[in-house]
Amino acid sequence: MGYKNESKVYEDILNLLERGKVSTEYAVGKMIKQKQMNDNKRNPNQEDVNAMMVELDTLIGLERVKKLAREIQAYILIQNKRREEHLAADSLVLHMIFKGNPGTGKTTVARLLGKILCAMGVLEKGHVVEVERADLVGGYIGHTAAKVREQIKESLGGIMFIDEAYSLARGGEKDFGKEAIDAMVKGMEDYKDNLILILAGYKEEMENFLKTNPGLKSRFPIHIEFTDYTLDELIKIAEDMVKKRQYILSLSAKAKILRILSQKRIEDRITSGNARLVRNIIERAIRKQAIRLKDSGSFSREDLITLKRDDITEEDH
Amino acid sequence: MKKCLIIGKPNAGKTLFMLNFAEYIGLTDVEIKFIQNKRNVDIKKLSIEEAKQLLSSNKPYKTTCLQSMTLEIPVLKGKKEIGIMDSSGLIDGIHQDVQVRRAMAQTLGAIEESDIILHMIDLSKINPDNIIGSLGEVDYQLSKYGFTKEGYVILGNKIDLLERKTPLIYLQKEFQEHYIIPISALNKNGFSEVKSFVCRRL
Repeated sequence: MGYKNESKVYEDILNLLERGKVSTEYAVGKMIKQKQMNDNKRNPNQEDVNAMMVELDTLIGLERVKKLAREIQAYILIQNKRREEHLAADSLVLHMIFKGNPGTGKTTVARLLGKILCAMGVLEKGHVVEVERADLVGGYIGHTAAKVREQIKESLGGIMFIDEAYSLARGGEKDFGKEAIDAMVKGMEDYKDNLILILAGYKEEMENFLKTNPGLKSRFPIHIEFTDYTLDELIKIAEDMVKKRQYILSLSAKAKILRILSQKRIEDRITSGNARLVRNIIERAIRKQAIRLKDSGSFSREDLITLKRDDITEEDH
Repeated sequence: MKKCLIIGKPNAGKTLFMLNFAEYIGLTDVEIKFIQNKRNVDIKKLSIEEAKQLLSSNKPYKTTCLQSMTLEIPVLKGKKEIGIMDSSGLIDGIHQDVQVRRAMAQTLGAIEESDIILHMIDLSKINPDNIIGSLGEVDYQLSKYGFTKEGYVILGNKIDLLERKTPLIYLQKEFQEHYIIPISALNKNGFSEVKSFVCRRL
């Protein structure tokens, strides 16, 4: 029910009261009911929180994040209880830094956190605005601050997610990136109740970036390192992915995925611990399977759900 | 500017409280807006004494529309503005006079827009043998409504008329979850507590 509708309900009740159709206590009772209904919508929704927590738990690995979510949940509960007892209750500063290689789940976690914090009632909307250097850094003097402000305005009530944040500091002394950082810091302090800023990027680059901006590090109380997935975890991720899409991996297909992943790991350390790589393999396999089935002409249920060894390929050919 | 609404049954002392509270804050003249409806607003400038003579009386239904004024409350070194609004009394059931009903509808409409609600209850009318009967349905409903509002407080008025504290104790027992400030709108007792309650929410 929208706001307009809500005030209409009040108006109707008051009209009836004025015309002498209902008694005062009836009118007040109606108003209370209406109000409680609206409050329920805004208040933390325990069911939603639980559902999200389950969703978070189903993510493979990411132990640190799961622990953090539990911490925040407990903290909010306690703060609310304290408020009921009229004790001082602080709002939580939740700006975060995510460090990790590409494909280790940073964006996924940010999106999920947005939803969870929204359900807990910490954030108003819980949306995630993904921002990159080009969205923040302007082309001329004064342009940058306006751009940053606009992005912050858009992210209010949710999460502003800056991927490869160190690119802001790139470009030397005369670059406007520094101005962007300053404007950002101001924004995150001003709106710390209703905005969460997440800086994300590769581990080493992020650490260098934070070292060169000492004020920055202390403003982000939460640092999470996203470690590369182990081969076991990657296989689990692959299984989860196909399950979600209602497919099954045959045993030999699984073995082939494992072989491809371990080979990649030797060739290239940085992108190897990578769920995105797995996703690409699976999606490619699904396409390959479609072609194979179309050519073979057998469409039994078994055929439709099984991904075979031949479907798994390393690169597109 | 935050809005503060005074509600309660007729003749609970709402208007007198508003005027005496303004005096307590340090005003000598008040500018009162008489809000008949959204388009029809009269503004009158009165001294506090005149206003008391004119607006408050010991007969119920003296106030027939919302009467609001702006108070500047000194907070630390600065001042904070608050709009304080007096309303006409609420009664149970359906009143036969359309004028009164209209005023009550206006009062209820104002509840929704207010940040702070001062719910005035006349302690001298409380009968310890029959609390529920002497309070009336609307008072209970309003206290329930108070759970949904952060700045809700009950003012137990007319302590100057009490011989013993029993009615106050009974009232506190009846509304255990709410904060009750005993006051006397006439003698300005308990006003400092009201002031600090209001200031905390500015």
